[in-house]
Amino acid sequence: MLELKNIWVKYGKKAAVRKLSLSVNKGDFVTILGANGAGKTTMLNAISGIVKVKKNEGEIYFKGEKINGWKPGKIASLGIIQIPEGRKLFPLLTVKENLLIGAYLRKDRKGIQQSMDEALTLFPVLKDKLNAKSRELSGGQQQMLAIARGLMAKPEMLLLDEPSLGLSPLIRQQLAETIKEIHREGVTLVLVEQNARLGLMLASYGYVLENGEMSLQGKTSDLLKNDDVKKAYLGV
Amino acid sequence: MPPAEILIEGLTQSCIYMTMAFGMVLVFSILGILNWTHGQLFMLGAFIVFYSTTAAGIPFPIGILLAGLVMAGIGILIKKFIIDRIKGELYIGVATLALIFALEGAASLLFTSDDRGLAIILPGVLNLGVVAISYQKMAVIIFTLIVMTAMYFVLNHTKVGLAIRAVAQQPVAASLYGISTERLSLIVMGIGCALAAMAGAIMAPLYPINPFIGRTPMIMALLAIVIGGLGSLTGAIVGGLILGFLHSVIAYYISYLSEVVLFGLIILILLVRPQGLFGASAK
Repeated sequence: MLELKNIWVKYGKKAAVRKLSLSVNKGDFVTILGANGAGKTTMLNAISGIVKVKKNEGEIYFKGEKINGWKPGKIASLGIIQIPEGRKLFPLLTVKENLLIGAYLRKDRKGIQQSMDEALTLFPVLKDKLNAKSRELSGGQQQMLAIARGLMAKPEMLLLDEPSLGLSPLIRQQLAETIKEIHREGVTLVLVEQNARLGLMLASYGYVLENGEMSLQGKTSDLLKNDDVKKAYLGV
Repeated sequence: MPPAEILIEGLTQSCIYMTMAFGMVLVFSILGILNWTHGQLFMLGAFIVFYSTTAAGIPFPIGILLAGLVMAGIGILIKKFIIDRIKGELYIGVATLALIFALEGAASLLFTSDDRGLAIILPGVLNLGVVAISYQKMAVIIFTLIVMTAMYFVLNHTKVGLAIRAVAQQPVAASLYGISTERLSLIVMGIGCALAAMAGAIMAPLYPINPFIGRTPMIMALLAIVIGGLGSLTGAIVGGLILGFLHSVIAYYISYLSEVVLFGLIILILLVRPQGLFGASAK
């Protein structure tokens, strides 16, 4: 479904991502591990079109279409939606307005209303806050809104960037359950996590990024047993 | 207490500064730049209404709409052919500054720099007992109320308005959901420039018209934005209101030094609230 072939992303002379390849099939749940600055967010932004990957610096395919160079909106309309790091909500818009932005590209009024109902069933806490400005929400609620906003686009694939960042263990647990639920409903997931344990517990396949390069990949059950992974990311 | 006529005059000025400042902030919130040539669009709006009513016999209200429409088009052209082709806020700023002189020069060539006057369109005075207000000034006030109500509606109750607010607050996330900043930039540039032109047009019967009448409203709008808090639409409105009154009232008491006192007061406001009245404080 999603295929990255040898992509490079450079900021000036420094390469943030080098010769990176990755493949995600429909229905997969993939996690990307890596330290701060390993290039995880850059990779997601390259997929979403926020960072442009030049024609001679690799290829990105989604559902058979070559999407590098496309505008973020056009990529989103194909069904890949990113839930960005740090939530990036619209602070002065209400919860409801934030959700509506998620459905900005859609024209089916009924479908939008249905997605809104589904999102509020998944995150009941948002129901009472529909008219509150998003900056008034707690950190956990903001993360839920960020995910709900993404679901409003009716994505086929969701790219989640550090959703657990700054959340309490309890909320993190709730979030993990919700992410599993979203996957069960048929959305293909790519989860970037600094909390490696969480990522490996949830996903079925994992990649390890180091200094912009893929250093390791495999089933998460194998990665959990891998000594290098244990030492570097699980603190064992 | 200054006489009521001075307050009415102040309110009329306020209306113009508000409309100008609102358009500038709207453009700033999406494009991230201040369009320095906003005042010249005001001036051209006045000329369009002058010629369309005197030479072409077009009714005044239609002339105002025409001014707005034409200058919205010019604004979009400025965006596409000047702002988009230059990189860097500073250089774009310099380019729109240069446009001040280009547009004033062009207007002087076309229309000469003589003062022109448009006859009062709505003669007569409404006598409210304590104060008398001319219909022409009332037209300015009502026009501004209509424009501001319309803008409030567009921003808060339409899809385009929602998109404008979203991009102003969080452009990256907005683009992730398919909002085209490029298209919105053209829309807000069109709206902002139309507002300036219509402000110039509605004021045309009240003051002499020449190629240089855009300067004062532009500076006042800029000051309104600064004391209101750069980026805040509410700030632009309140700032415009304050400045219009201050300008007229100070001029009533001390005509020669009025500008000096006005700018002194503005500096004082900024010393107390550096972020402006409605700006987010820089933490």
